[in-house]
Amino acid sequence: MPIVKTKNLSKVYNPETVPVHALRDVNISIEKGEFTSIVGPSGSGKTTLLNMIGGLDKPTSGTVEVNGVQITGMKDSKLIDFRLHNIGFVFQHYNLIPVFTARENVSFIMLLQGRDKKEMQQRADELLDQVGLGDRKDARPAQMSGGQQQRVAVARALASEPKFILADEPTANLDGASAMNLLDIMQRMNREQHVTFVFSTHDKRVIDRARRVITMVDGAVHSDEYQKAEEYDESKA
Amino acid sequence: MYTYIKLAWRNIWRNRRRTLITVSAIIFAVVIAIMMQSINRGSYEVMIERSVNFSTGYLQIQDYRYDDEASLDNSFYFDDELRRRILDADDRIEKILPRIETFMLAANDQSTRGAVVFGINPEKEQRFNELQNFKSDGRFFDPDEQAAILSEGLANRLQLAVGDSLVLIGQGRFGMSASGLFEITGLIDHPIRDLNNQAVFLPLQTAQQFLSADDHLTSIMIAPQREGQTNSVAQSLKRELDGSELVVFTWPELMPELLELMELDLAGPRFFTLILYLVIGFGFFGTILTMTMERLKEFGVLLSVGMKRARLASVVFIETLMISILGVLVGMGAAWLILKAIDPIVLYGDAAQAVIDMGFEPVLPMSFAADQFYIQGFYVFLIAMAVFLFPLIKVMRLNILEAARS
Ligand SMILES: Nc1ncnc2c1ncn2[C@@H]1O[C@H](COP(=O)(O)OP(=O)(O)OP(=O)(O)O)[C@@H](O)[C@H]1O
Ligand SMILES: [Mg+2]
Repeated sequence: MPIVKTKNLSKVYNPETVPVHALRDVNISIEKGEFTSIVGPSGSGKTTLLNMIGGLDKPTSGTVEVNGVQITGMKDSKLIDFRLHNIGFVFQHYNLIPVFTARENVSFIMLLQGRDKKEMQQRADELLDQVGLGDRKDARPAQMSGGQQQRVAVARALASEPKFILADEPTANLDGASAMNLLDIMQRMNREQHVTFVFSTHDKRVIDRARRVITMVDGAVHSDEYQKAEEYDESKA
Repeated sequence: MYTYIKLAWRNIWRNRRRTLITVSAIIFAVVIAIMMQSINRGSYEVMIERSVNFSTGYLQIQDYRYDDEASLDNSFYFDDELRRRILDADDRIEKILPRIETFMLAANDQSTRGAVVFGINPEKEQRFNELQNFKSDGRFFDPDEQAAILSEGLANRLQLAVGDSLVLIGQGRFGMSASGLFEITGLIDHPIRDLNNQAVFLPLQTAQQFLSADDHLTSIMIAPQREGQTNSVAQSLKRELDGSELVVFTWPELMPELLELMELDLAGPRFFTLILYLVIGFGFFGTILTMTMERLKEFGVLLSVGMKRARLASVVFIETLMISILGVLVGMGAAWLILKAIDPIVLYGDAAQAVIDMGFEPVLPMSFAADQFYIQGFYVFLIAMAVFLFPLIKVMRLNILEAARS
């Protein structure tokens, strides 16, 4: 069973006034353990597609299934709960709760899930170690670099043990080295723990790291190819 | 829960200055509201307390006709059995005080004055209200002595002193004529101004015989252990005395005019308080409004990752509550300290004389009544609830994507 499956997914903004066809009949299917990049020119519908898959927006027509469950048409409150337990999110910016430390940010998502307190602490520490922030656990977002913040966001997304992690241009605000470092971490988690990632990007170097590249043009899937991904550099991670 | 409280606490200090200003505004309102109440209530409370101690009791038992016609004809028979019944009606009754009271003429050899004559038991008075402490000259009488204690004001008007004789003229029970000569054994500076100009105290038995009312009383004053027990003790007594000719009153029923006057005097401060809270409420609202609007993006992220709307709203609610509670608690504390520091305000010079001429003491006591403190908490809580409506609606209706783009 695919982790994500869209059927004839379409989205039209402003249908009454100036219709914008942001998505046209998108049919994609993402399997567990894939490392998928969604690319395409600006305005091609990448963000719209990720929002649909993440249950943050409603399609005009077509459906989205996550792990066999159709989320299209789900009630708002049920959808929030579904996201909490099934989907991890990494946004471009403003990801973290500014008044919480790295550890508290990561724990918080598990608190929302109602997990055991001890387990939360332990898992938060482990995850921060994994993203290379073992020494910044008590730092607040404002005290961290953009790259470090995004790594906390990845740790948080992972903390909820989701079926997959969605990331809309996670490296857009990062310099080259930080971007590669973030990719290293994501790639390693994908290899070692089979975490499924779906992310959008403009960055050629980021695209090169993906196993699968879905190219959007004008709201439609233009190509969907598997490539030999560049190996991540063990020494950098 | 702890985490949500922690989150809320840190959130309110994200803009330290703004929160401090808001909290200060609430403190200011609470302090002003309490002070205005306290200053206006203090004098009344002293009057009420004196009345309760010296003329009404927290509760009072009378013949059912006495309230309409305060005459000796409407006195009632009192013996040990009735005394037991009253004491046994409720074990929270701490003290009871029997009295017979009537209006007579008091005279020296030249002139007469109206007087309120009380037949009292000096020891019981002492236990009930420490009446003997107000003695200003001479001594208190023995229970069956043919003697009188005169209030200072009346003594002055009649030009009488300790050792002189006092003539009392009037009517006893059922129209029996009553006139007698009493030796003045002492003077008293009665704390109730009206009574200081009119009161004559006789030993209870002497008074009863003099008034042809052996074993009769016009009232029994009652004090429960605590003021708060007044109403439930009244219920017990009413049950016990049901079917008899005796009725029970509580102190608010016995001094309705005084309480009405106090309410009237408090109307102004209450209105001003309302206006003050309205103004402060708008300021508070402004703070919560900005705190909400500048975090919409963050709210959007929280809803995206799976925080329930109600939970997010509850964090904002805790923030609102924290600001109010801080303001209320500090405000109460500050008001209490200020009141302690200025209590009582003693008047001097012309102001003092003006007050004395009106028959009051030249001091303004402050009221420390608990209710005027905690009612502010209630008002501020109401404001907090009203103010919270905005973030509540905002969070409940927030569109995640629009929030992310804002
Ligand atoms: N809320 C909206 N209302 C109207 N049109 C919208 C809205 N959101 C997106 N669009 C339009 O839909 C199309 C797809 O937008 P989308 O944001 O998905 O593109 P994108 O591929 O993510 O672009 P970028 O690379 O710049 O982030 C664009 O033409 C955009 O202008
Ligand atoms: Mg985009």
